[in-house]
Amino acid sequence: MTDTGTPLPASRRVVVDTLYEEAGTWLFVFKTLLAFYLTGWLAMRLSLPAPTSAMLTTIIVANRQSGMVLAKSFYRAIGTVGGALVAVLIVAAFPQQRELFLVAMSLWLGICAGGATFYRNFKAYAFVLGGYTAAIVGLPVIDNPPAVFDSAVARLSEVLLALLVSGVVSDVIFPSKMRDVLRRKARDQFAHFIAFVQGATGGRIAREQMERAHLRFVRDAVALEDLRSSVIFEDAEARARSSHMELYNQRFMAASTTFQSLHHLINRLGKAGRTASAQALIHLYAPIGAALAAPIEAGTRARIFLPRLVQARQAMEANAPVLREALADPTDRRDFDTGTALEQRFVDELHDFVDAAASLEAPRVGASSTERVRFVRGNDFAGALVATTRTTVTMLVLGVFWIETAWPVGSSAMLLATVFAALFAATPNPANVTGSVLLGYVLGVAMGFACVFFVLTNVDGYGLLVAGTAPFMIVSVVMMIRPSMASFGLGCAFGFVNLLALQNPMVFDPASFLNIGIAQVAGVGAAAVAFMIVPPAIGSRWLRRRQLERLRRQVALAAEAPLPGLRHRFESVNHDLFSQVVSQTQAGSADSRALIAWALAVHETGRAVIELRYAMKELDMSATTQRIMDGAVQALARFYERPDAERYLVARDAVATAIAATSEAEHTCVLLDNLHLIRLALLDGESVLAAYMPQMPNPEEIAHAP
Amino acid sequence: MPREIALGDALVPSLLLVFVGSMLLLWALDWLAGRYGLYRHVWHPSLFRIAAFVCVFGSIALLLFQVPPS
Repeated sequence: MTDTGTPLPASRRVVVDTLYEEAGTWLFVFKTLLAFYLTGWLAMRLSLPAPTSAMLTTIIVANRQSGMVLAKSFYRAIGTVGGALVAVLIVAAFPQQRELFLVAMSLWLGICAGGATFYRNFKAYAFVLGGYTAAIVGLPVIDNPPAVFDSAVARLSEVLLALLVSGVVSDVIFPSKMRDVLRRKARDQFAHFIAFVQGATGGRIAREQMERAHLRFVRDAVALEDLRSSVIFEDAEARARSSHMELYNQRFMAASTTFQSLHHLINRLGKAGRTASAQALIHLYAPIGAALAAPIEAGTRARIFLPRLVQARQAMEANAPVLREALADPTDRRDFDTGTALEQRFVDELHDFVDAAASLEAPRVGASSTERVRFVRGNDFAGALVATTRTTVTMLVLGVFWIETAWPVGSSAMLLATVFAALFAATPNPANVTGSVLLGYVLGVAMGFACVFFVLTNVDGYGLLVAGTAPFMIVSVVMMIRPSMASFGLGCAFGFVNLLALQNPMVFDPASFLNIGIAQVAGVGAAAVAFMIVPPAIGSRWLRRRQLERLRRQVALAAEAPLPGLRHRFESVNHDLFSQVVSQTQAGSADSRALIAWALAVHETGRAVIELRYAMKELDMSATTQRIMDGAVQALARFYERPDAERYLVARDAVATAIAATSEAEHTCVLLDNLHLIRLALLDGESVLAAYMPQMPNPEEIAHAP
Repeated sequence: MPREIALGDALVPSLLLVFVGSMLLLWALDWLAGRYGLYRHVWHPSLFRIAAFVCVFGSIALLLFQVPPS
């Protein structure tokens, strides 16, 4: 501290860094344990029937970030209320029929697991809870149906109490705010993109590098949306700005897509030997690079770019006719017009994006007249169906086993299987995770045994109870926070607390302890086995193929969905699908390369189709032209849905016909520009579509596209 | 105010209803504060929020359940 002039010696720095890092860990441990014991104490004071389940809840929602805890708690509360209601309904419907009861319960659990897989973010959590709350409420009262109401009320009070305590503790005591992370992320995203555009408008970017940049932009957009959806729970101001944030993200996606198209176009022209038009286009967008040439890192506000961009746009408008005159060849002029339209669209979108960034930076929340936009996710029904089937079958098998063997503690096994089958349905590799949870659980049971029969028998009062159990808890919670042991630690904490079965007064019964312990381990094991037998769709080749198909079908969406709000819908589903598949493929593998190539093609063509449709709506066209245009759009959609050589030819010819038809009509400049863009993308011999071309088109053909 | 209220034949403590009501009220206050950036003037927003909730809940509950003057 004193010798700030000299740099810290390396060894000391290591110690300081480690301590700093460890401080976070111990703060987390402290907060978790505080919430844990406070909940236990309150639950006992309020004489709730099962303080343990309230205490378990605090373990499950524990997280370093306050926003995560609050978001998780919010959805957990919704799920718990829903699950308790369903449990009451199911018990009321089949009070005397254990078979029907178990079937209904298994179905409900399956549906909830499916829902959890369908929504991959925190909404999933509400489904998870809805499922296993129903089981927790319903299963114990199977022999005594009238008690279901009390059981539901008890479960509700325990969980809500625990959520209240966890929320307050994590939000008030040294909260670690995600708002700052979000703010930094948004600022970085802005700086990256502006720097990228500025660098790119200086010179041409290799396709390789562009793809990587595109990948990063897609990841950024999705990560920002993920963060936003949790931050709104922790910070009222972030909530008030939430719609601004969404608008910002949408405009980011729109601008980056257009920029990609633009660069593809220039690359294609360059490759086809049409250097004159390519050079003219590069000259044309030079003002953008100049306008953005201001240091962003130095805390400059986004606002300063706005007038510069307006100027750049004016400069471009002034330059365009001059550059166009310089081109002798009509084909060059045609290509140049296409590029000009794209560049102007890009400048407009960039201006909107910077505007959104500037309004985010503004200290006050502006008028709420902003467009309402939503980030639409590309969720998959098939994966959800697999999860539904797996969970239902697991529950049915366990239920049959329970009935056939008349296992006295069968409900414990079933409960645990439910909980873990639901909790991990949405993780990428649930078999491994559940496996390590199982090991952790065994350790937790052993620790619980030691704690209950050797420690707790000697203590009296809540203070000593805390002192007696805390060492075991600390071990588990420290393991929970290490990413490599997170699931092992979760299993350990879960097993320990569950088996501890704190009650007031405490009962000590080794036989029943062991019975329940074995049943619960068997339940976790059943969940693990189920995950092995019916592997989750996530990450499998099958699901990846489906996602790729879904991605391609986006062109059909662009061609057929109703226009209002279509731009945003297209962009966000595209980004979400893209990032899903990217996160599930290995970087640089053949799969991943093919996927990225398809995503670029879909992005480009889809956007052009949407712009084309907007233009078509505004123009008055003769019925024949209209029909030809529709035909072209349809042919494109069909080709992307099921790409093959035949449909490729149909699409190519349809677009050519459309270009010919629109060239004759009046005021069709916008249409022509977009059709041209589509045409060029279709003929690009280096894109993923090359596989469907009859033979590689020669460069002349690309250039003389019309 | 009665200590318990029958909602659909289930007796619910009326404090619970007051609690839920205060939550809603606090949520509205929170929204307003976020909308107009009032939390900028507060050192620890979440602590402030909890304190505000305690004040709201406490005062409503005390008003409704005050001991009748003997």
